[in-house]
Amino acid sequence: MKRGKALSMGNAPFAFDKRTSSSLMWGTSAALLPAVAWGLYCFGLRALFAIAASILGALVGETVAGGLRKRFSLLDGSAFLTGLLVGMAMPPGVSPYIPALASLFAVSVVKGAFGGLGANWMNPALAGIAFSLLNWPEEMGAWSVPRHLENLSGLSGATPLAYCRAHAVAASGGAGPMDILTSSGVKFTYTDSSMTDFLNQCLFSRLGADLPGGYVDLFIGNKPGSLGELSALLILASSILILSRKMIRWEIPASIIGTFALLTWIFGGLSYGRDFFSGDILFSLLSGSFLLVAFFMATDPVTSPSSRSGMLIYGFGIGLLVFVLRSFGASAEGSAFAVILMNCCVPALAKLDAATSLRRAARAASEAIGVGE
Amino acid sequence: MKPSRTFRHGGIIVNPISEWDQRERVENAFLPNGAVILLKQHAGRQARCVVRRGEYVREGMVIGRADGPLSANVHSSIPGVVRDIRVVALPEGGHAEAVVVALEGSFDRLGRREERYLWTTSGRNEILATLRDKGVVDTEAPGFPLFDLLGESRDIDLLIINAVECEPYLKAESCILRDRASEVMEGIAILQKILTPRRTLVATSRDRQPLLVESQESLSPVENVVLDPKYPQDMPAQLLAAIDGAHGRKGHNATIIKPSTAYAAYEAITHAMPMVERYVSVGGGAIKRPMVLKARIGTRIGDLIEECGGFRNPPVRLVLRGAMRGHSVYDLDTPITKTSSSVIALAAEEVGSQRRSSCIRCGRCRSICPERLDPDMLFRFVERGMIDRAIATGLRLCTACGACGYICPSRVPLVAAFSSELRNLEAPLSEPTGAKR
Repeated sequence: MKRGKALSMGNAPFAFDKRTSSSLMWGTSAALLPAVAWGLYCFGLRALFAIAASILGALVGETVAGGLRKRFSLLDGSAFLTGLLVGMAMPPGVSPYIPALASLFAVSVVKGAFGGLGANWMNPALAGIAFSLLNWPEEMGAWSVPRHLENLSGLSGATPLAYCRAHAVAASGGAGPMDILTSSGVKFTYTDSSMTDFLNQCLFSRLGADLPGGYVDLFIGNKPGSLGELSALLILASSILILSRKMIRWEIPASIIGTFALLTWIFGGLSYGRDFFSGDILFSLLSGSFLLVAFFMATDPVTSPSSRSGMLIYGFGIGLLVFVLRSFGASAEGSAFAVILMNCCVPALAKLDAATSLRRAARAASEAIGVGE
Repeated sequence: MKPSRTFRHGGIIVNPISEWDQRERVENAFLPNGAVILLKQHAGRQARCVVRRGEYVREGMVIGRADGPLSANVHSSIPGVVRDIRVVALPEGGHAEAVVVALEGSFDRLGRREERYLWTTSGRNEILATLRDKGVVDTEAPGFPLFDLLGESRDIDLLIINAVECEPYLKAESCILRDRASEVMEGIAILQKILTPRRTLVATSRDRQPLLVESQESLSPVENVVLDPKYPQDMPAQLLAAIDGAHGRKGHNATIIKPSTAYAAYEAITHAMPMVERYVSVGGGAIKRPMVLKARIGTRIGDLIEECGGFRNPPVRLVLRGAMRGHSVYDLDTPITKTSSSVIALAAEEVGSQRRSSCIRCGRCRSICPERLDPDMLFRFVERGMIDRAIATGLRLCTACGACGYICPSRVPLVAAFSSELRNLEAPLSEPTGAKR
């Protein structure tokens, strides 16, 4: 009698999609590497220390939290991803103990204490970032200029976003954020000026538009900022990759970006002394951690709704809160707190979903009975 | 925009879905030395055994009589001696009696010229009585007898021949439609005579092209409907939705029949052949030469696997009736029944990691559920024993198609939980395959 050595029994289905939760986590981590690599290029070894400390903190946190629950979960990739995301939000010159403690807190308290992966209600990475922002506001605000821009930039201790916000009240008479940067003596790179010229000649002149200097630098990532959020270009490229591989759902980022862009366009000009419908959408989208948060953090499946309608509402809330926090909040950066606030609403959105499915099931059941007769 | 010819809500693309090859091999399996013939191969109660140990049986002789509604006659698939009558475990759960026949004597039918009966002059009731007599059941689990399935319906809107095979490794229906087209067409004509449908459709999947049938003079016309591949398109609700989508119509009563069932009806009516053999797809990554075999009921699955060259690499799982909705078996002695559409031996790399991890609430199960349920929520209710809440949110609508279990990245045992709970409830809302709408 020929028998397989280890025939396992079980229930249907016996075929599975290749994708597993841990492959999703590792895949997302891998997709973030280009943005991290750009951060390392800009800031060198100290950036590497910050990221490494953050990941180490997360892995230690996972080991401890998993050990207490007697479950080995280090290889599922979720702790690594959290550590990576926390590290990417750090300013480059930060002392390594800050990211390490932040991600230790994120993984062991925010995630582990609630029962590990899948049981936490708050995004651990964002909680870690918020933890460090609140604990060490000065260290977290100490931005430095990328190495290759040191003799160029006029900005030394602030991101473009923070700088413009600080000077927006003083400036008036219709100067937008980019005008503020230009007038304060910020010089843009050669890449920026040549690319802007090229785009203006080949594309925008035909459309009757004119792209002012500076946006290309913002887009590529030639600006002071945190380790991983510098380059909108690389973050967008990674986002397209993970969207096309269906690792994240499009509804959340689309809803966030749409809401935020619309609000910025309508009301964004007001804080610069301009009229309605004059906000600088491009500047707002490309500055700060907005894109990174919208694509890689708000889409965390555990802490976001599971249904399409829930995702759209959740994204709308985040877009709205980012705008409100950036306009009126204590710091220039609002994305992290916006997502955390909307995390609190996810259980309520789940209740809505449950009510919807209850109605749908009742309708379907009554149809089925009606047919049987 | 071109209307998509598939059902709208949910569904998945199962890999490897497009492994169909025009030259797919079909062979007659060797006759078994012995057959283990289950007395329960149909939806209803187990047939009453009418033979005793030591008795000689001929090929096609009744060994079990139908017992009540949805029960069907069982015939001996080989001539021989009844060696044993014993209780065996069924792959789908539960137990039933089986008659063990050892091959002896000669075949009455095999190798001889087939008789041919004219059925066109017979009445509807006569044909139905023959179908009952010959133990013809639907070739798909749970095996509703054709007598019960067709007896109730008449003057229906649609007769749908369901050749949409959307599970991986299943090829038998497509092969029958390709190789036995004229027989299937005659089977369809018989069904048309019983059901008098207004229209007859043959539904096939685009990835199994070209599998088009041609209407013959003597029949009422048969139309081809080619659907885009998506799982679970072969289920009644999804098939009807897909056909509605293709034709832009709604609300008809339809009877859905597989080509193999039509073929069995043809054999029973034109050749007076009881249901003693069927086409079985033997496949999976662990099988050396996958092919479709025409096998006698009661053949060991091990014999069929051996005929396909045995195992290429060690199987981690043996599955009957499809990788999405089937049952795993551990025994190569498990016999083929009237509803065993396939024998699948899965290799380790096909099954992949089985390790369950926590639900990450990604919502994939919700977006692909063809019945628009929320599997993750249902699972939480079932896991905590809140069955009332689970039923209120639609547990009874679950068809156990397995799509959520396939897609779940955390390998949460969703379908296992639902189907065991559904068995407990005995699903009063479920309907036979020929669902009426």
